[in-house]
Amino acid sequence: MLDVNKVREDFPFLKSGRIYLDSTATSLTPEPVLEKVLEYYRECRANVGRGIYNAAQAATFAYENARVEVAKLINAKPEEIIFVRNATEAINLVASGLKFHEGDKIVTTILEHHSNYIPWLRVKNTKKLELSVVLSDMEGHLSPSDFAPHIDGHTRLVAVTQTSNVLGVRPPIKEIAKLAHDEGALVLVDGAQSVPHKKVDVKELDCDFLTFSGHKMCGPTGVGALYIKEGLQELIEPLCIGGGSIEDVGLDYFRLRTGPSKYEAGTPPIAEAIGMGAAAKYLLNIGMENIEDHERNLTRRMLQGLINTDGITIFGPKDADKRAGIISFNLKGFNPHDVAVALDTSSGVMVRSGHHCALPLHKHILKSPNGTVRASVYLYNTNEDVDVFLETLQEISRSLA
Amino acid sequence: MRTLYDIYQIFPHTDCGYCGSSSCLTMLRRYCIGKSNLSDCIYFKSGELPTPKITYSPPAIKVPHNQKISYIRPCPSEPSKVTIEINILPPVHSPYGYFDMITADTIFQHQITNLKISPSLGIVRLESETGDVMVFSEGKVVIRRGADERSAFWEISRALRLLWATVNRKPRAESAQ
Repeated sequence: MLDVNKVREDFPFLKSGRIYLDSTATSLTPEPVLEKVLEYYRECRANVGRGIYNAAQAATFAYENARVEVAKLINAKPEEIIFVRNATEAINLVASGLKFHEGDKIVTTILEHHSNYIPWLRVKNTKKLELSVVLSDMEGHLSPSDFAPHIDGHTRLVAVTQTSNVLGVRPPIKEIAKLAHDEGALVLVDGAQSVPHKKVDVKELDCDFLTFSGHKMCGPTGVGALYIKEGLQELIEPLCIGGGSIEDVGLDYFRLRTGPSKYEAGTPPIAEAIGMGAAAKYLLNIGMENIEDHERNLTRRMLQGLINTDGITIFGPKDADKRAGIISFNLKGFNPHDVAVALDTSSGVMVRSGHHCALPLHKHILKSPNGTVRASVYLYNTNEDVDVFLETLQEISRSLA
Repeated sequence: MRTLYDIYQIFPHTDCGYCGSSSCLTMLRRYCIGKSNLSDCIYFKSGELPTPKITYSPPAIKVPHNQKISYIRPCPSEPSKVTIEINILPPVHSPYGYFDMITADTIFQHQITNLKISPSLGIVRLESETGDVMVFSEGKVVIRRGADERSAFWEISRALRLLWATVNRKPRAESAQ
């Protein structure tokens, strides 16, 4: 069981009584993470992988230790983890670094965030590939049989999200990975919305690439991680090369290192990566199963309340067991942005409004081009948060709609 | 009793004028600023209605924003239109926050059909062809889907004048409504 009151003490942002229901966009940062970031700046402010003096070694140790912590979170080996700026950069790194042949096929889905969609549109055009988009039903469900017709011997890569950032639905990654691997295709999983909220095991999923951001998992902004399955690093060219990524350089040649440093040219976001490691440790200490259970209870309460509110259309499944703690909805007669402003100004409830960086989904499946309102929960949200949100929404629906 | 609106519900709603105020609403407002007594009301005085025990004290005005005009352009949902947000400081002499929602409700609800009010949330919503305006009791005014900057400003100033009038109107003029 997760002791939410104890958890909340760690989050200074919550002390003012604000109700934060936008953890899907970015999460709050707890004291242990802030401490760890400051500790680097205060105690061992030196560059990593370069100096020989004590502080430089301490910084390198802290940075590499963060890699170990982040690897633990997804059951990977530390050398399979590459620190990047965020999940978006991780996906772009794979999209631009993977060698394609003309006519290769990429498969993605209509559920994707723009970050796992437009990089593929771009390589489709620049490298003359074929892009196939798997469509979901109205609630966002995707089954392995939806993928089967799209995956064949020409498929180079299947890029799919593990949790939709709009509907909260979770495509069956294991089965999709099997289908893809049977045809010799690679699998990239966008874990931005799943890794922070549930137990993710790359061995069990059997994916080739997993991308996630630090700022959505209680870590600092400006850092994320790309998991590349052992042995596949040879397939991916780095996005940037330069200092820290080479083994040897001569007048007219260079040789890149192997391992994560091949991709981490230049001074990396050291403090941020250390913070991300601390965040991984923080989440593992609380327990990913506990976090998932806590969110499921809150989601159930929120869904029930929304179903009982007049004029609300809920997108995605109505069953809390079939979705993560992300709920998008619309209020009849109201623009989503107005609902968000009214919730914030009158009750201090922060929710997201708009298309949530998933325009294809809003246009083609939800038929809601103006966007939706999205409320999402995380480990620090309480039943009271959900109740204030619902009561305010009910009053908006009663008096203002 | 959370708001003036709740207290108003216990008043006789006859607007008889016996107390010396032009309406029950004016009486309530004068009572809240210490300029009338509940015993001035014939209904309370005679016992026809139980005298309410009012424990309401006007909420302290907090100023959450700096006074400023902030543009968000274009409108997030319709790129061809504009959104404008304005934060205004509440007037120092008013103990009731920026806009007196019950006054607005009472005076305007039958005259302006597209005016919607939530006294408990402190929000007034005005829909019009040239944009939707939301006014918040703490002094924030938002217009969405304004055709252009000029018409959006015009719409905001119209909404503000409408609501201002309800706060600043003298009691006699109010009775003429």
